[in-house]
Amino acid sequence: MGQRHTNLSPENQALEISMRHQSCSGMKTTKPTCILVVTRNGHMAEPVMDYAVNVAERMKCSILAAHINTLPFYRDGGRRSALFTAAMQESTTLFENKARGRNVTVEHIGDAGRIGKAIKRLCHSERRIEFVVIDQGIRLDEVTAHSPVPVFTVNYPRKQAGLQRKTVTSQPSQQGVQRMSTARRKRHLHNCLVFGGLTTALYAAVFTNQDVVMTYFSKGGVFALLPVSVVFAVSYFHGNFTSSFWSALGIEGSTASAGKKAEVRKEAETAPVRKDTRPRAQVNA
Amino acid sequence: MHGPVTEVLQFIDLNASSIIFLFIVGFIGGLVSGFIGSGGAFVLTPGMMSLGVPGTVAVASNMCHKFPKALVGAIKRHKYGQVDIKLGLIMGIFAEAGVQIGIMVQRHILEKFGQAGSNLYVSFIFVMVLVIVGSFVMRDAILIKKSTATSPTGSPLARRLQQIELWPMITCKTANLRISMWFLVPVALATGMLAATIAVGGFIGVPGLMYIIGATSIVASATELVIAFVMGLGGTLIWAYYGTVDIRLVMIILAGSLFGVQLGAIGTTYVKDYMIKYVMALIMLIVAVSRFFAMPKYLNELHLTSFTDGSVSLMTQLSFGVMCFALLTGATIILVNLFKARSYERVAAARG
Repeated sequence: MGQRHTNLSPENQALEISMRHQSCSGMKTTKPTCILVVTRNGHMAEPVMDYAVNVAERMKCSILAAHINTLPFYRDGGRRSALFTAAMQESTTLFENKARGRNVTVEHIGDAGRIGKAIKRLCHSERRIEFVVIDQGIRLDEVTAHSPVPVFTVNYPRKQAGLQRKTVTSQPSQQGVQRMSTARRKRHLHNCLVFGGLTTALYAAVFTNQDVVMTYFSKGGVFALLPVSVVFAVSYFHGNFTSSFWSALGIEGSTASAGKKAEVRKEAETAPVRKDTRPRAQVNA
Repeated sequence: MHGPVTEVLQFIDLNASSIIFLFIVGFIGGLVSGFIGSGGAFVLTPGMMSLGVPGTVAVASNMCHKFPKALVGAIKRHKYGQVDIKLGLIMGIFAEAGVQIGIMVQRHILEKFGQAGSNLYVSFIFVMVLVIVGSFVMRDAILIKKSTATSPTGSPLARRLQQIELWPMITCKTANLRISMWFLVPVALATGMLAATIAVGGFIGVPGLMYIIGATSIVASATELVIAFVMGLGGTLIWAYYGTVDIRLVMIILAGSLFGVQLGAIGTTYVKDYMIKYVMALIMLIVAVSRFFAMPKYLNELHLTSFTDGSVSLMTQLSFGVMCFALLTGATIILVNLFKARSYERVAAARG
């Protein structure tokens, strides 16, 4: 499918396409109209969600959000797929929350396979897709080659992308896996178990040999290094254990206040000219 | 064996109730220390002594548990970008010197006025410092809470001191200030001297960092943890040299306090700036009341008053009870604010 560029602003163009479709099909149209928003990352970027919700509200249509797992058979014992599903659930909750306030319906679909083919499949489904909005990490030519409807990309600064900072395909798969937030919870649990075990072993070693320990540790002189080194070991093992323990329970520092403060300070230092950071759409029809 | 101290040492046998007591007190103390940077350990020395631990062992073990706790708290708060390591290390070194001066002063008073005089001196310093500094901090916290300004403007004294260019000037990036070393040293020395006298240097260190040096309360309380680490390590090496540290007690207290210190550090990321000042001032004022109750015992020993034995013992118990109440009040405020702020944040996130 060839690409066509127009001088209309993206949102007006999307509206015009929608109206043209409606006038062509007229009263015969029974299929629900919707915008297809596609991502291949676990977490869809928030600017993409915002853009889709804005346009859907203005066009009075619904949104079909598709999370396409492009590496379903990745050889890591299903870990990547499990993380992808968990991240997708978080992403769908966020998307629904954003849409609920604007009275826009969002339907979610999880699919696997090649992006182009998945989009083609979805465009020929029961719903009538007006156009497709793709997230970062998806090559435009890969989609336009298969899509029967116009395709939009949303340009936004990486900072606004939230958890998704790099594309899944750009680097070895480990980076994609670690970006998904559920991996953090698992890592904390793992650390909790490892350091918990080490702490227990250290405590058991000291308390089961109390007499020997107290004899040597209270000798003083050079033996002063013994209690100090044990206490350092406790602070390392038990400190890591307690840190992971609270994190695994979900009790972590407020990202809102800390992140905001750091960002404000950094921006004040580094950015004298305020950049226009609004999401922009680019049409390739 | 080294030194005369160890020859009379008796290490206690631990039972389940004493272990649970130390764990819980450790947790609450750690929670308060993680939040306000210091002040969570003052209950531990009398607490251990009430279990039958000799005074020297109680002081040494308390000191030995404080520095790893401060280390873990400082690392945690460094992750949140609240610690000024350079400021903390410089002040820590001078605070260590302050500890040595404080010990010399104590020794001098002990020689001149005896044990009761020394105890009275400690209680007097305790009440004076806590009432004066605590009232000032409380007044400031209330004023900030009432004011409509979103961010505190900082202390005028600190602003004036920062303008004085007196070599050597120290630039602290995290604390976002540039100040002469000559103004850091007195605060650090006073912190060390107070630590040597009443075992909680932070009651001068944190207000000093806020009102004299000009750091925010979040950075001040976090940096105090570095100072406490340096002081605690130095003190522990000395006590351990004389073989007075009971590693079992230290490990039990640490088991609880490291849980607490992490939670206290997490709490600082949720609360507003004045809350640290508020909790700190409240604890200081309540502890001042507790030391006030402890004074009649020493006044009796010096034959300055003549309270009956029954009332002196009641007041001593009351003093310990009020101290525990101070710590519990602080811990409750921290936990309530932490979980309240978390639930608000979750609701706000859900609304988008």
